[in-house]
Amino acid sequence: MTNRVDGPLKVTGQARYGLDHNFPGMVYGYVLTSTIANGEIESMDTTAAKSAPGVIGVYSPFDPLILATPTLGAFGPTWVPLQNREVAYYGQPIGFVVAETFEQARDAAMLVEVGYQQRPALTSLEEGLATAEDAPEVRGGDSAELAILEDGVESIEDAIAASPVVVEHTYRTATQNHAAMEPHSAVAIWDGATLTVYSGNQAAHFQSQEIADALGLEPPAVHAVNPYVGGAFGGKARASAPAFLAAAAAKVLGRPVKAALTREQVFTATAGRAATVQKMTLGAETDGTLIALRHDSWCSTDIGRGFVEPTSHGTSREWYSTKNLAISQKMVPLNIPPTTFMRAPGEAPGSFALESAMDELAIALHMDPIELRLRNNSTAPPGKDLQWSSKHLDECYRIGAARFGWANRTPEGHVDGDWLVGMGTATAMFPALRFPATVEIAFREDETATVGTSGADPGTGLLTVLALVGAESLDIKPDRIDPSLGDSALPPGGLSGGSTATASAGTAIMIAAAKLIDDLLALAASPEGPFTGQEVSYAAGRVLAGGRSMSFGEVLRAAGRKSLSAQGSSAPGEELTKHSFSSFGAQFCEVRVHRWTREARVSRLLGVFDAGRIINDQTARSQLMGGMIWGVSAALHEGLEIEASGRFANADLASYLLPVNADIPADIDVHFVKYPDTLHNAMGAKGIGEIGTVGVAAAVANAIHNATGIRVRHIPIVIEDLLVD
Amino acid sequence: MDISLEVNGRTEQLNIEPGVTLLDALRERLDVTGPKKGCDRGQCGACTVHIGGRPVLSCLTLAATVTQPVTTVEGLASDDELHPMQQAFVDRDALQCGFCTSGQLMSAVAAVEQGVEDVREFMSGNICRCSAYPNIVAAIEQVSEQVRQADATV
Repeated sequence: MTNRVDGPLKVTGQARYGLDHNFPGMVYGYVLTSTIANGEIESMDTTAAKSAPGVIGVYSPFDPLILATPTLGAFGPTWVPLQNREVAYYGQPIGFVVAETFEQARDAAMLVEVGYQQRPALTSLEEGLATAEDAPEVRGGDSAELAILEDGVESIEDAIAASPVVVEHTYRTATQNHAAMEPHSAVAIWDGATLTVYSGNQAAHFQSQEIADALGLEPPAVHAVNPYVGGAFGGKARASAPAFLAAAAAKVLGRPVKAALTREQVFTATAGRAATVQKMTLGAETDGTLIALRHDSWCSTDIGRGFVEPTSHGTSREWYSTKNLAISQKMVPLNIPPTTFMRAPGEAPGSFALESAMDELAIALHMDPIELRLRNNSTAPPGKDLQWSSKHLDECYRIGAARFGWANRTPEGHVDGDWLVGMGTATAMFPALRFPATVEIAFREDETATVGTSGADPGTGLLTVLALVGAESLDIKPDRIDPSLGDSALPPGGLSGGSTATASAGTAIMIAAAKLIDDLLALAASPEGPFTGQEVSYAAGRVLAGGRSMSFGEVLRAAGRKSLSAQGSSAPGEELTKHSFSSFGAQFCEVRVHRWTREARVSRLLGVFDAGRIINDQTARSQLMGGMIWGVSAALHEGLEIEASGRFANADLASYLLPVNADIPADIDVHFVKYPDTLHNAMGAKGIGEIGTVGVAAAVANAIHNATGIRVRHIPIVIEDLLVD
Repeated sequence: MDISLEVNGRTEQLNIEPGVTLLDALRERLDVTGPKKGCDRGQCGACTVHIGGRPVLSCLTLAATVTQPVTTVEGLASDDELHPMQQAFVDRDALQCGFCTSGQLMSAVAAVEQGVEDVREFMSGNICRCSAYPNIVAAIEQVSEQVRQADATV
């Protein structure tokens, strides 16, 4: 167990997040947002704002900061503000006021009068279902509609009709927001032709490229710095509106600019998770064997159709062995803020539907829900020849059932005083992925080594992982490693997204370390080295030859070198043609529903995870625990209410409910079955950032049903759902 | 207006507008950036500091109204040694992204000083989106236990 290496800086206030940077002459930008959801800006009267105290710049579509639309290969185009007069959602950035102080900028922004040509806005997912569009190609290149049928079966309808036991229900999940504690923000400062941007983001090299593209620069001219990121969860993959605006305004004004969204603006001027509607039809033999699994999904999306929440493709496509499978994904474009990746995009809301339906099927079959899941345990995704590289879901369930006391569960729950107590379970899966990553490591003459890559550690523990994997690969103690990240000047890698950073950067470290050790040995045996012409070997940070040994620092000093560095790169490759890859888990939940108030409280949680090798037990446990609490939050707390006007009714932290300490039980147990998956990558680690949240909302709903007999097919589940006559 | 603030043992003179919050005075005028702005509405707790030894939301406090000494997370440690609560947060991994941590720590220190009975309830004004809640409670219990043992030996 290793404590988080940046812990001491974070507990003393010394970790400087983006907005913690202050510079002489710095001015403050305040973003102005729209108050209609669809239409055109006819006018913006900025006269009063311009003459308000301290104001030095007011920008609008009529007097814009010029920004081009950047396109990142991985994400497609990124919207930049102020470039036209179109308004596509309520809360869209439409102006930027810069003043000497924050208070002056904020107060002046209130003086801007905006005139709109308003158009009717589409804001209801339910109303849009009838005119839903097919989603474009979904994850993995699958088409939106996909059917895998047994030989001789004509249609999924036939397979369902031939099933002795069928459950069919529709499930709904709410619009959500990442709500990272750090609002999207930036400090931008120019030095000649070079711009430095301090802004919390999931990958410094992406942020650098996006801002460079927007300003018509080459990426080396934009130095993105974000060693500390105040939470991201998918919501900071792209450069934010304040980052683009601060960068451009700082250039025009010749002053450093600090800009942050208000908390209320974070809900609209960034991007969030789509709402979903999912119709599940499960057909089974009386012994529980799945004959048919049909999962039809609809999600909201922004009017630009920027993102699809792939609930069927993210779950039913791969999770169970079924003789017949049919999935579909449709989208409903609305005048709502952009939708995007949010922790387990697809898997989180998708698993609420699939794993609730599996529970309903188990009840219909009078079968234990764990037994039903194991009965349909898959060795490969349906219709694919590529078997799971390493899958121990059955062991997760066995261990979990024993640790949680599942044997004490009864089909009707039990009563404890005024509390109705129930237990629920659900499967969790999240694909094991890697992205290309490059890491540079170096030996230094002072007996330390550096490990650096540009990606981010928004609380994941990646910085600590860099130190641990670096130490292991160089066979030295972790306290001799000086890890760094969050800087676009470092080699590109370690993007915080898709639960990939550890597997991606870690594999690159191993490759770099092997090169670096070879280079050190070559240097030692070279004419300038201390072991010229000798047969040399390396162990525990030392070079050995002819019965004597020297530390790497001594070798460097002897050769007159301050440091020696090597880069290693890794990327997904041939393994993708041989196996399917995923992390697996079994989620367990105990819920107590008050007999009279109908308040639902989660009293215990257990997650047992098969996520390959765990590099750092402590931070891994924390991350999974946090993910599981996200699942509780989705089940019982979070949901944006969209008014007909397109305005979010509860876009602040008082009314967009997130769990607080008293909502969460102290009894949250995380357990790992540790099977390194070296078919996936040499290090054997799979992802853990997202799987923790998958399945939990269903486990909560299933536990509530166990406790009360009430099946709620939407989240969040609120007291009104549990009232009885 | 001219005001003076005592922050972490140092007296600071400031000329500010009356509407400037303590949080913005600390962060933007004094470069004391440990307290964070997560909401600016008293809803998240990331800005929590101590005024006269009591936890206060600095985003809801006008700087000009502050007469007692202010302690921020930067003022907790002494002589290069972490405050026991800071050490407990590191030991128990009571943080992930760290953005709420300054505020959590100031509330946690107050929880132990006030000997609160229901720690989870007391800490519920500090949101942690990474959801380190069980570890935060464990850190507070670690320090409470240290205090109990120290009291017992006295």
